[in-house]
Amino acid sequence: MKLLGKHLDKDGSGYVTLRPDDDEDIWHLYNLIQEGDRVRASAVRRVQNVSATGSIESHRVRLNLTLAVARVTWSPSTAAAGEAASFSTDASTSTSAPAHAATLHISGRVTSENPHVKMGAFHTLDVEVNRDVRIEKDEGGWDSIALGRVEESCVPGRGAEVAAIVCGEGTATFCLLSQHMTMVMHRLEVSIPRKIAANSGAHEKGLTRFYSALFTSFLRHIPYSSPTIRAIVIASPGWVRDAVFDYIMAEATRTGNKALLSTRNKFIKIASQLKETKFAREGIMLDKFFKMLGADEMRAWYGPVHVALAADRGAIGTLLISDDLFRASDPIMRKKYVQLVEDARQKNAEVLIFSSMHESGQQLNQLSGIAAILTFPLDVEVVEAEEREAKEEEERRKQAEENGEDVNAG
Amino acid sequence: MSRHRDVRNINVAGKMFQALGNETRLISHSHSDELDDGAVSDGGEEDLSPQEYEQLMSGLDHIRATVGSQEQSGLSDKEIKDTLYHYFFNVEQSINYLLEAQTRKIAARERKAAKEREKAEKLAQQKKAAEASAKLPPAKPKKATGAKLSGASTPVRSTDIRQLDLAGLNLDDETVLPIDEPPPKITVAREKVLEEARKQLEGNADKKTVSLVVIGHVDAGKSTLMGRLLYELGRVDDKTRKAHERASSKIGKSSFSWAWELDGTTEERERGITMDIALQSFATPRRQITILDAPGHRDFIPNMISGASQADCALLVVDAAVGEFEAGFERGGQTREHLLLVRSLGVSQVVIAINKLDQVQWSQARYKEICKLLRPFLIQSGFHPSKTKFVPVGAMAGVNLVARDGDEAQALNAWYSGPTLCDLLDELEPPTRDLDAPLRFPVANVFRTPSSVIAVSGRVCGGLVQVGERLRIVPGDETAVVKAIESEEERLEWAAAGSNVTLHLTAVDPRHITIGSVLCPPTDVVPLVTSFTARIIVFDIQVPITAGTSVELFHHSRDVPASISKLLATLDRASGTVLRKNPRVLAKSMSAEVQITLRSTTVSGPTARAQPIPLEPFSVNKEMGRILIRRGGETIGAGIVTELN
Repeated sequence: MKLLGKHLDKDGSGYVTLRPDDDEDIWHLYNLIQEGDRVRASAVRRVQNVSATGSIESHRVRLNLTLAVARVTWSPSTAAAGEAASFSTDASTSTSAPAHAATLHISGRVTSENPHVKMGAFHTLDVEVNRDVRIEKDEGGWDSIALGRVEESCVPGRGAEVAAIVCGEGTATFCLLSQHMTMVMHRLEVSIPRKIAANSGAHEKGLTRFYSALFTSFLRHIPYSSPTIRAIVIASPGWVRDAVFDYIMAEATRTGNKALLSTRNKFIKIASQLKETKFAREGIMLDKFFKMLGADEMRAWYGPVHVALAADRGAIGTLLISDDLFRASDPIMRKKYVQLVEDARQKNAEVLIFSSMHESGQQLNQLSGIAAILTFPLDVEVVEAEEREAKEEEERRKQAEENGEDVNAG
Repeated sequence: MSRHRDVRNINVAGKMFQALGNETRLISHSHSDELDDGAVSDGGEEDLSPQEYEQLMSGLDHIRATVGSQEQSGLSDKEIKDTLYHYFFNVEQSINYLLEAQTRKIAARERKAAKEREKAEKLAQQKKAAEASAKLPPAKPKKATGAKLSGASTPVRSTDIRQLDLAGLNLDDETVLPIDEPPPKITVAREKVLEEARKQLEGNADKKTVSLVVIGHVDAGKSTLMGRLLYELGRVDDKTRKAHERASSKIGKSSFSWAWELDGTTEERERGITMDIALQSFATPRRQITILDAPGHRDFIPNMISGASQADCALLVVDAAVGEFEAGFERGGQTREHLLLVRSLGVSQVVIAINKLDQVQWSQARYKEICKLLRPFLIQSGFHPSKTKFVPVGAMAGVNLVARDGDEAQALNAWYSGPTLCDLLDELEPPTRDLDAPLRFPVANVFRTPSSVIAVSGRVCGGLVQVGERLRIVPGDETAVVKAIESEEERLEWAAAGSNVTLHLTAVDPRHITIGSVLCPPTDVVPLVTSFTARIIVFDIQVPITAGTSVELFHHSRDVPASISKLLATLDRASGTVLRKNPRVLAKSMSAEVQITLRSTTVSGPTARAQPIPLEPFSVNKEMGRILIRRGGETIGAGIVTELN
């Protein structure tokens, strides 16, 4: 993403103009744009004019529109269909990166004056790669999380990606992993009859069918020769990964696919333990959290209420939080979480914001989206009891005060 | 052929008269019939669509033309209609059936007709079946002439015109039919089969059938033991054995030659490791045993689960060699995991074969040591001591499998005088089978037989299946007809709960059946769920289970991604009383009630819906209600389904 312009006031209002470069940037925009923001981007709109004689003239106009955002929707598209259409018969040459397009739809009312569109008319903006977008937020809208995201997304050269083929006998999933996203490019399922002790012909025939289907999909969906792909991971239980790798290489040799042969050193074969990659920090930290949960339940807390209690006591060592929470449509909720993160950062705690487009983020989402590893053990029940007591104390004091007033009044 | 002549000899005018007579009779009948057996049937002919009714009428004419009037044939209109119903208005089959029935004069005919009619009526209620039947014109050219005849005699009927039109279109009957060949008739009445099955299970039959899963750590010698046992029992001839010996020594793996009988694929043979279940069978003096040789490698536990869910008993093979037994038995070894798995899948009898004792010079001390180590674990895992038997064996040399003679057995004979492995297998007791439950047949394998018939193998989990029966495939909207039932290369008329059989199916496209589908009667379909409540036992795990833990759910041969969506309560392991509601985590060896939700297989879209799987609560069907939960290549829990939500 490119940062084209930025004008922020001290109170956190202002605008930022961005130009997304790839799908991941679209994902960033999805996380940046909140309900109630004003977004300005180019749009195409059909305009109807009624002439004096009553004939209707209709034409498309390209124009810049500013919307007050009412709804943002994101659809990760693997564009398998479009790919298939452009897929040339000469498989070995189609090595260009697939032009998959994630799309972001922003709908809302038009808020700026315009010669073609009335104020208050509804419109839906389609945000695309390489189209400028200006995001304007009200007071307090540009909090540390939002700014952090803008900054992070504009760091150049973070395009490193990993391609993964997760397979079993008869099934394969092709994914591309980038920093914030796991994209499932293609899913393959070939039914392989299981072995029958006496005769294994059908089983072997099925296997060959599976491998050849896998190879064609691999050529189609994995941009193996693109420089941004650092590694290609083949993961599976058993020996399927070896067989798949051997088949890919044998086939590449047979068809003389030099581009593929030269990427041989990118291939990594691992056993699929979880269906997620562990190279990311997030994954490692989530694992650590789960291990802590097993080893010392008092030091691993999850759930918004519990984590807030731990934060009050300054116990948080590492905060794991999902970007899902910041996307909350309720600004008060968002503010609460932003506050939590800022507090934790202030106390030198490590904060990890998980992307819900990764498996680890989805797992965290299942755990209510927020979890923390504490620096010292705290018993949830004791803390809850303390809280309850404090509340009762408060109430008693209040009541006492009221009574006192009553007495005074009396 | 004689029937053919009958058709030609018909007096057309007489037939017309007869047909009209039949019609009036039928109308009056249909009402009185209703009153007569209202208790048995609850719908009667009123359920028919007008189209079906017409088909029924024309079919009735054809049959009357062939078999003669009621007085001549002794067949009432009602019977004919029932039969037509049953064969979806396929006249030829109905005639075949009726003629047979007529000649046989079975005493129980009345009862059967009532039963079949009831079944057929339920079938007719199925919209799908109705549509299919509507598409069915009379099947064979023979009948095409019949159709023309009746068309000429009673031109008023719209059905006949339609049939004429069809004939005029020169549609080849074979291409119109969705069924590639007529399904075989149900020749034996259901009650009779049930009775027969019961008799067999009660032990009046010569041999009881038991299925046995062979489990144990990788390289304990499971396949070798089975290969050798099959040879000793005469199931493998010398020629095959020699061929295996020669071929295996050629690739430098002569020690695996016995296992080759079960490890059929090239990959398995090259690597010397069983990767998938192999199914074989043999007979001991008093038992007919089906063996499922499971893979021991931890990566293939899904396949092992698929095999274990088809078994009644287990044979655990343990490697006695120093260090090997320990490797298999310690944490992460498959001896432990397999035992826990089979126990949670409902296996309660286990025979433990302590193998490779020849490598420790048939040391009695070693045998005793292993028994001593295994016993507490077996009890702890829930195997009753009276149902666990130990036996020392040497698989490679074939010592103590069937007999204990020869030089090799000398050392063992010195201290062991108990039963041989075969004797122990002969004493296995099959568990009680549920014959009255509706049929459930989870598919473990789909393939084509050499004659290109679609076949599914698996185990009947409740109820019984007969040749000629129409079964629903769940999930999906398709049905199939059982053409034949095969077990140990024998054709059977029926198969009851607990038997491992191969069903040959017709009238179905193979892509509608996948491994994990469940076949069931169309009248009693297995429920499909994406979310359910289960009572689980957590195994020895390091990372605890929290709400939202993503797991793999195993149910028979199917494994699907799922997540533990809610932790409802922790339970007392012994009494099952609730210890704590809404626990935060489940640690090892806890018992708990949880809610499990299937995950969609597409990761990207948050809105993608999960594909439901067929499942039943444990209280309804035990075998259909057992589940296993795995995570990251490790089994973390097992349980039973308590409620579908």
